[in-house]
Amino acid sequence: MSLQHYLVISAILFSLGIFAVLTRKNAISILMGIELILNSCNLNFVAFSRFVTPPENIDGQIIAIFGIVLAAAEAAVFLAIILAIYREFGSIRPDEVDTLKG
Amino acid sequence: MVVSLISIILLCPLAAFAIFALLGLAKRNFPRQDYLSTAAMLVALVCSFLLLWEVVPKPEPHTVDWISLGKITFSMGFYLDSVTVIMLIVVTLVSSLVHIFSIGYMHGDPRYPRFFAYLSLFSFSMLFLVVSDNLLGIYIGWELVGLCSYLLIGFWFEKDSAANACKKAFLTTRVGDVGMFIGMMMLFARFDTLSLYGDNGIFTRITNPEYLTADASGIFWLSIAGVLIFCGAVGKSAQVPLHTWLPDAMEGPTPVSALIHAATMVAAGVYLTARMFPILTPSSSLVIAYVGGITALVAATIAIVRFDIKRVLAYSTVSQLGYMMLAIGAGSYVAGLFHLTTHAFFKALLFLGSGSVIHAFHAMHAHHDEEHANGEEHKHDDHSLVHAHGSEIPSDQDMRNMGGLRRKMPWTFGTMLVATLSISGVPFIFSGFWSKDKILGGVLGRAMEWNSVHHYVLFGMALLAAGITAFYMFRLIFMTFFGEPRNQEMHDMAHESPWVMVVPLLVLAILSFPVVNKWWFNKDNIIRPEQPHIHAPQHAQLGPDTKIDGANFGIAFFGISETEAAEEEGEKNTKKADDAYYIHKLAHNIAMVLSIVVAGVGILLSWLFYHRRRFSAESVATTFRPAYNLFWNKYYFDEFYDGVLVALTVWKSRLFAKFDLSAIDGIVNGVATITRQVFAAFIGFFDNRVVDGIVNRVAEVTWAAGGRIRRIQTGAIQTYLFVVLGGIVLIILIFRAL
Repeated sequence: MSLQHYLVISAILFSLGIFAVLTRKNAISILMGIELILNSCNLNFVAFSRFVTPPENIDGQIIAIFGIVLAAAEAAVFLAIILAIYREFGSIRPDEVDTLKG
Repeated sequence: MVVSLISIILLCPLAAFAIFALLGLAKRNFPRQDYLSTAAMLVALVCSFLLLWEVVPKPEPHTVDWISLGKITFSMGFYLDSVTVIMLIVVTLVSSLVHIFSIGYMHGDPRYPRFFAYLSLFSFSMLFLVVSDNLLGIYIGWELVGLCSYLLIGFWFEKDSAANACKKAFLTTRVGDVGMFIGMMMLFARFDTLSLYGDNGIFTRITNPEYLTADASGIFWLSIAGVLIFCGAVGKSAQVPLHTWLPDAMEGPTPVSALIHAATMVAAGVYLTARMFPILTPSSSLVIAYVGGITALVAATIAIVRFDIKRVLAYSTVSQLGYMMLAIGAGSYVAGLFHLTTHAFFKALLFLGSGSVIHAFHAMHAHHDEEHANGEEHKHDDHSLVHAHGSEIPSDQDMRNMGGLRRKMPWTFGTMLVATLSISGVPFIFSGFWSKDKILGGVLGRAMEWNSVHHYVLFGMALLAAGITAFYMFRLIFMTFFGEPRNQEMHDMAHESPWVMVVPLLVLAILSFPVVNKWWFNKDNIIRPEQPHIHAPQHAQLGPDTKIDGANFGIAFFGISETEAAEEEGEKNTKKADDAYYIHKLAHNIAMVLSIVVAGVGILLSWLFYHRRRFSAESVATTFRPAYNLFWNKYYFDEFYDGVLVALTVWKSRLFAKFDLSAIDGIVNGVATITRQVFAAFIGFFDNRVVDGIVNRVAEVTWAAGGRIRRIQTGAIQTYLFVVLGGIVLIILIFRAL
């Protein structure tokens, strides 16, 4: 398995994530798309760390760990915001939350 | 030892004042400020006496550098010679006695502690002035005593007359001080220093051709500087024409008059002139002598016709100060200092005595009771009659209300009589005779030695003034203490003063006898002031007499007989050509006889006029109406100042005000009108149309654009995200293309 394989997987994940974020009508699904994007990034970090930098340098792996932690924190905040939105608007469909419309 | 003693002398009164000032910040008074201040003065007095034995053998300056400005360094320091020490003793002694007297006199005054604090501050300032070895220090002390004088004359500032008098005193002396400061700066410009003594002092550098050449221009320059320095003394020592403040200064409490306006501060001018003696040229000396002589005569004639007991004494003080100046101007500066010393004691005594008399009458006005009743409110209805120019007299100071007091107030009468005999020049047992004789002899000796018409004229003026002095002083005594009581009501109220007031009188009375002075010191410690630095040809002329007087100062002061003095002088001058010495010896003998004669005539006339009533003063006044009017109106000095100087100032101010109102205000208003009507209108137009127009157009465009563009904001996040994604792709493509 070469670097390209990983990058291709990562690109596919990223595209799926973007697709989900742009098209899903449910906020939870959007969150899942975002998670996909983050994980594609993590995958990139680990892949580059494995194939490009010297073996003793594990910065990429470490940053991936940080990314997972961040994703968890972000998911918590996101869910809290969704809960608040639901209480306010009675819905979690982002196209219905359009108070800021110009 | 010397330095620590002098520090104690200076710091004691300063500390007494500082305690008052610091507690005053906390709005409290030290409960016994009177005892504190008095104790401080007594300590200073003791130290002054200790200093006498320390210093007499060798005078020396003690200096420290004070301020350095570039290459110039101002030093501060003490110079102690016998003259300084004598002045220290005079100041501390009179000050102590006045403090004690004031404990009685000022009792019950609502600002009682403040009075003593001011006295302390004054004592410090005066002592600082006396011991300073440089003109800067002297000037600092000089202005400080002026301030204290101002504060104390205006001590009862509720009275308009006192408030006016203190302002008058402050401003009048300031006129002289300006001259003095210019003189100091002239000396500084020439000698690069304000120190007087030491290797780099003015008195050393004056002999150095590098600084001052002894040619005509140098002497002229020095004369101008000397006269300007003397201007300060004219103001402070109340010489004609700046004497008018001193009589008005009698609005202050009487102990203040005794301390400041008789014994010490006004003598500071004499002290300064004597200190500066080495820089006086014959021309500036002559100016000083004439100012002094004219002052002595003018003030004496005014004193004849006064009825206010304090004003008689005030004019007498002016007159005696004129004597001292005359002596210095005639070259007998030691005689001047000697008269300063004796005068300080007997004139302080006269003032305190008059204070005692006024105090005795004061009770009648229920002065103190009224104060207690009204609490802080300090009423002086009895003083409200006093006009700033003194045409009306408070009844308790009017000699026409007195008479026959000698039985009521025996101690006051006795002591004042001693002082009067002394100031009148009654021979041999009173100190005033010796000092006055020394001055008259000095002036006559100068006249005979130089065969100078000027000095003969000056001698005549001094002699006449001596006779008049005897006349008006005995007039005061006869009107106050002899005859029948003229105001029975007031006479009944009068009483002898309490012991705190009588004791200082007694001490001062004892000091009016030269014998006492002899007892102070034995003959080996005779005070010999340092010889002035006599160098240039113009000073050499003043030489011999200065030296004779230099030896005589202590001799006459301490009551050593004329023969002893003559022996000493003879020994000293054997090497000299004896002409000058014998001329002066002869002059002194002539002057002594003449002074006894004129004093006798003055006293006799006074006795005939005011005791036996053989002649009527009123009829004489009527006969010589013009002269009487001249004296009564004080030579119209005040009227002259009011009519010319004040009126000129007012006229000038009016002129300036008119100029201000029409020209300056016109310009300002014109500029304002032009600005408002033309510039402001144009700018307003520009502002409204152009600037506001631009702003409004921008706003309108923005508004319209906003109305269109806002439709982009759909509120759907996913649309935004899509746009963002598209943007990113676009950016990537653009960068790829680049």
